[in-house]
Amino acid sequence: MSTLLPTFRLAAPRTVAEAIAARRDHPAARFVAGGTDLLVNMRRGISSPDVLIDLSGIDALTEFRIDDNGVTIGAGVTIAALARHEVIAARYRALAQAAASIAGPGHRAMGTVGGNLCLDTRCIYYNQSEWWRHANAYCLKNRGDTCHVAPQGQRCHAAFSGDLAPALLVLGAEIDVLGEQGLRRLPLSQLYIEDGKAHLALADGELITAVRLPPAPPASAYAKIRTRAAIDFPLAGVAVALATSGPAIASLDVALTGTNSRPFLLAGTDALAGRAIDDKLLAEVDRLVQKQVQPMRTTLTSANYRRVAAAALARRLIADLRPA
Amino acid sequence: MHAPASEPKKRLLRLRLNGRWREDAVGETQLLVDYLREVAHLTGTKTGCDGGECGACTVLVDGEAVPSCITLVARCEGRSVETIEALATQGRLSALQRAFHEKLGAQCGFCTPGMIMAAEALLRDNPAPTEDEIRTALAGNLCRCTGYVKIIEAVRTAVEAGS
Amino acid sequence: MSVDAGTRPPRRGVPLIDGVEKVTGRARYTADLDHAGALVGRILRSPVSHGEIVGLDVSAARNLEGVAAVVTGDDCPYTYGVLPIAMNEYPLARGRVRYRGEPIAAVAAVDAETAQRALELIELKIRELPAYYTPAEARAPDAILLHDNKPGNVEREVHHQFGDIDVGFAAADLVREETFSCAEINHAQIEPHASLSEFDPLTGRLTVQTVSQVGYYLHLMLARCLDMDTSRIRVIKPFIGGGFGARVEALNFEIVTALLARAANGKVLMELSREETFITHRARPHTDIRLKLGMSKTGRMTACELQVVQRGGAYAGYGIITILYAGSLLHGIYDIPAAKYDGYRVYANLPPCGAMRGHGSVDTRHAFETLVDRMARELGLDPFAVRRANLLHAPTRTVNDLVVNSYGLPECLDRVERASGWKERIGRLPPGKGLGMACSHYVSGAAKPIHFTGEPHAVVHLKLDFDGGVTALTGAADIGQGSSTMVAIAVAETLDVSLDRVRVVSADTAVTPKDNGAYSSRITFMVGNAAIDAARKLKELLIATAARKLEARPEDVECENETFRVGHGEQSALRFADVVAAALVNEGAITVKGAFTCPPDAQGGKHRGGAVGSTMGFSYAAQVVEVSVDDATGQVSVDKVWVALDCGRAINPLAVEGQMQGSVWMGMGQALSEETRYLDGLPAHASMLEYRMPTIMDSPPIETHIVESYDPNGPMGAKEASEGALAGFPPALVNAIANAIGIDLNELPATPDRIMDALIERRRKARLSRALKAAS
Ligand SMILES: Cc1cc2nc3c(=O)[nH]c(=O)nc-3n(C[C@H](O)[C@H](O)[C@H](O)COP(=O)(O)OP(=O)(O)OC[C@H]3O[C@@H](n4cnc5c(N)ncnc54)[C@H](O)[C@@H]3O)c2cc1C
Ligand code: SF4
Ligand code: FES
Ligand code: FES
Repeated sequence: MSTLLPTFRLAAPRTVAEAIAARRDHPAARFVAGGTDLLVNMRRGISSPDVLIDLSGIDALTEFRIDDNGVTIGAGVTIAALARHEVIAARYRALAQAAASIAGPGHRAMGTVGGNLCLDTRCIYYNQSEWWRHANAYCLKNRGDTCHVAPQGQRCHAAFSGDLAPALLVLGAEIDVLGEQGLRRLPLSQLYIEDGKAHLALADGELITAVRLPPAPPASAYAKIRTRAAIDFPLAGVAVALATSGPAIASLDVALTGTNSRPFLLAGTDALAGRAIDDKLLAEVDRLVQKQVQPMRTTLTSANYRRVAAAALARRLIADLRPA
Repeated sequence: MHAPASEPKKRLLRLRLNGRWREDAVGETQLLVDYLREVAHLTGTKTGCDGGECGACTVLVDGEAVPSCITLVARCEGRSVETIEALATQGRLSALQRAFHEKLGAQCGFCTPGMIMAAEALLRDNPAPTEDEIRTALAGNLCRCTGYVKIIEAVRTAVEAGS
Repeated sequence: MSVDAGTRPPRRGVPLIDGVEKVTGRARYTADLDHAGALVGRILRSPVSHGEIVGLDVSAARNLEGVAAVVTGDDCPYTYGVLPIAMNEYPLARGRVRYRGEPIAAVAAVDAETAQRALELIELKIRELPAYYTPAEARAPDAILLHDNKPGNVEREVHHQFGDIDVGFAAADLVREETFSCAEINHAQIEPHASLSEFDPLTGRLTVQTVSQVGYYLHLMLARCLDMDTSRIRVIKPFIGGGFGARVEALNFEIVTALLARAANGKVLMELSREETFITHRARPHTDIRLKLGMSKTGRMTACELQVVQRGGAYAGYGIITILYAGSLLHGIYDIPAAKYDGYRVYANLPPCGAMRGHGSVDTRHAFETLVDRMARELGLDPFAVRRANLLHAPTRTVNDLVVNSYGLPECLDRVERASGWKERIGRLPPGKGLGMACSHYVSGAAKPIHFTGEPHAVVHLKLDFDGGVTALTGAADIGQGSSTMVAIAVAETLDVSLDRVRVVSADTAVTPKDNGAYSSRITFMVGNAAIDAARKLKELLIATAARKLEARPEDVECENETFRVGHGEQSALRFADVVAAALVNEGAITVKGAFTCPPDAQGGKHRGGAVGSTMGFSYAAQVVEVSVDDATGQVSVDKVWVALDCGRAINPLAVEGQMQGSVWMGMGQALSEETRYLDGLPAHASMLEYRMPTIMDSPPIETHIVESYDPNGPMGAKEASEGALAGFPPALVNAIANAIGIDLNELPATPDRIMDALIERRRKARLSRALKAAS
């Protein structure tokens, strides 16, 4: 039996310019890179673009360069390529760890950096079949008018669950975004908005072309909580980058995913510079995390658990990065 | 006679399937797994979930193990696709197939084609994997029968046979 | 009972006789069958949990071009089900729907797209009724009834008492009572459900190829629901991608596919999505347990009181049997002098539960082995010692009249205790690491079949023809467990011919003798015995022929390695082919029949429901589980499992190991991460992502030890090997977690959030008691 997909046309641009043009011609079109998120969602009927613009034939998007200015990772670079890159593993460890923790090997072989950054947000009321959502009168994020997670509120709390973003955030990543108005470069943190229904600050038709990382990053690590040791999206994911001078913190950055509608950098870590990494400090970080994360009932695992576990991961990663 | 409701849009696709180039008219929205099973009549590749979650449909595209149930066949233009049917050659089971058979790496056998293809991709890339590497390579393939114990044993047996 | 393991050499492991098909992709499962020209079947399912169907208009769907048939509840006024007394389900709802996802109508169309459009054209109006998702809600005094004849929405109550529990509890040094709750789980076999039905209007015959583990029951239900003569129906089992109980009853979509095929006068292929496969369900119910145990200072059990409440879902299915099993299988493993059991199977507006590997025994065993461990701890006793203090002595009968003829549990205990280094390691592990153990058992087939017809429990035919090939015909469904291989081995060995000479044809009701199917681990014991019986008869016949040719007395003829001879005389040796040729003279192709019947004294006690749990032989298992628990995140990882199983005799040790590993691992899934979750009756778990079955990364090495107790009635001494080890895993895990971090969990699965909640609760209590101390 053939699987039912919404009907669409497939466009196969060879250059980014063609991709942007295709998108201008078909405003309701979607870009597809690895398709490991979008096609799953299309099979469930939660996305039904009339045109798919296939980015996989654009060579420019697979640039992967490391030089004195840092690292440039094309949006079309696969998660697998990122995970097995030796320089990334050695110098940008959080990123390699995050990449290796994504889904299963088949998804990593197809999935891309751009797709991972632009991953749709997730919710147990949303990532369901058409029959299911119809029986549940849909929801704010898709065709409906209430949110089943927070029925009183007016916004969607679906959780951003990509693993790369927090690692890239603590490593100071910038992204190149190409649109009809040309190319702009912005800090990755500016890509995201705390709104599960519209979590990306991309203008219509804009395309991420590359991610840039500065050279000489501090030591970093990434860890995620999930029910199973593979396949699962993060219930909470934490990245930490830590620079020390002697026993004291020179700089500390913590970023989280899986808990909010956007991945975000923990606020308030600047004030910890100069402090020793002791239990008291770890307890403070724990409190900061617990205060700033906003997990909601978007997963079958309880929201409170995700909050507590996120804080525990942050503590552990910092303690582990602490120089011996 | 009943007629289909609508004629889906088709395009001509050329790909190398199990070593042989072929051309077919395929729908733009057709998934690789449906192409393999319904057009090429290669039913060794299985469907175990509603998309991207179980690994039963794993095939090799240009040597990489990928889930064919979330791969559009149109994107395989000019590429090489290999399925479980290609592994036994000249009347002989491949080392992996033999090991899965002899070590009982397959009970009901439903996850087996996907599992073997994922292992095949691993061994081509890394002929002497550690147990951890074997586990990592098969992490996207679910099996409900074996507890994976004999699957790991089978892959190790194939590795030894190959060295 | 002495266990004479080691006195006979272990048998040789044999790969599955259909293994080559599986590793090459040639094996055809239902969805792989030739379905050229077949229509596509699709089902319209209820969007609500409970309601009255007040309008159902299928005319627009019927008129859509490309639609060949639409069927509704009007097309089938007959119920189906498992027990003849409890068939309360229609293949397509009539008048009322009782769970979200219940089939209401179905279409057959030229392609999937058209079928989908046809479903969308069906107009359905439902007046909603209050829905109940917990036994407490369903049993509330003002709850409306799901089924009019079941007051209180209780499908079945069971009250059993054996021995005097008051005396028992009075004699105890320690009495403890705890409540446990085990989440509902699903079989989640990797093959989604599928069925291919063909109705030939010219001959009036129906042929069904489907994923059933029980072709015979399906055959009966098809005849009933389609009002057809059984002789016009043929049910064929293709390769099956796992069952685990999911397919041990006739399932609605199978009957619906047949209804469509008949309505369309053609062939219909129905492939359910993974979500629909989950909704079809029939698996282990959510179970709440209250357990009270009395124990002497030495660990001897004195009395036991067990209450079990199962949330059975919307229809009866196997429910009555499950709730009976939950009580009866308290017994059969330890010597419990007095026990009281109260069981309640309650309806709820959720997909119907049914049988799943370890049917009925698992959650009871979990509560029991967990509480025993905690009491041992309180009494300062070793967990192994407590089990050893309560062993049975076979042959014996339990207080509830179950016969136990062979009992290898003592040896199982010894084996895993030694292999795991228990004595040296327990209490000496680093923080966060723990060891736990538990025992379990299971039946080798129900001694009394569900449909009692007076027929033998199993029949096997053997055909021997001019080619010298022996074809074994059995109705037993090989669903991946390797039963066909077992039959081949039993026949080949009895005949002393090479395994390649034997071919097994299984589960085709037009060809193979009826079999009750693949459930309650009955096949090895019953079909194995029937196969040996048939092979013995065939051998007798061949020996008689050889004796005639050799002019000797049959008792002097030896048959070894396909050669017949008298004494050691080489020149008088006859080859197998020669004897076959001689045997066929004047006879033609030979068919012999073997059968197996359980003697009445093994069929359970006289009390109501006493037959459930009765069996010719119990398998026994003991296991040790080693875990690491991260007390910062609540995450548990299983580092290693040692398991020993008494399967009587391992006819095929390779397959026995595979079954042991698979069953322990399935127990691990239930213990660690698997659970179904409904949001207002909608299955939120119905995908391979949200239903968290362990991946290879979560799965530990499982070291197997086969214990052979040689059951006096088992084929070659064998008993079941596929289920017995499952139920021990969850309690062993929970006991290991207690050992690692001192947390006693009463809920399954032991997900990180549940462990974290328990840790937070412990910290809260510690703070409270510190505060109290400071205040006083
Ligand atoms: C079972 C399963 C488990 C998974 N587990 C994880 C997990 O643990 N962690 C995790 O992070 N992800 C997980 N994923 C999701 C997914 O596989 C990965 O996130 C992957 O990296 C997505 O990349 P892609 O190229 O396949 O995205 P696509 O599906 O191609 O695209 C995703 C979205 O990004 C947009 N997009 C893609 N490229 C660009 C671009 N260059 N510019 C602008 N927009 C773009 C698309 O339009 C689409 O909306 C899982 C998926 C499945 C099916
Ligand atoms: S958070 Fe609310 S609006 Fe958003 S997807 Fe979930 S249910 Fe829908
Ligand atoms: S069928 Fe499950 S991943 Fe493709
Ligand atoms: S062998 Fe049955 S699912 Fe793996």
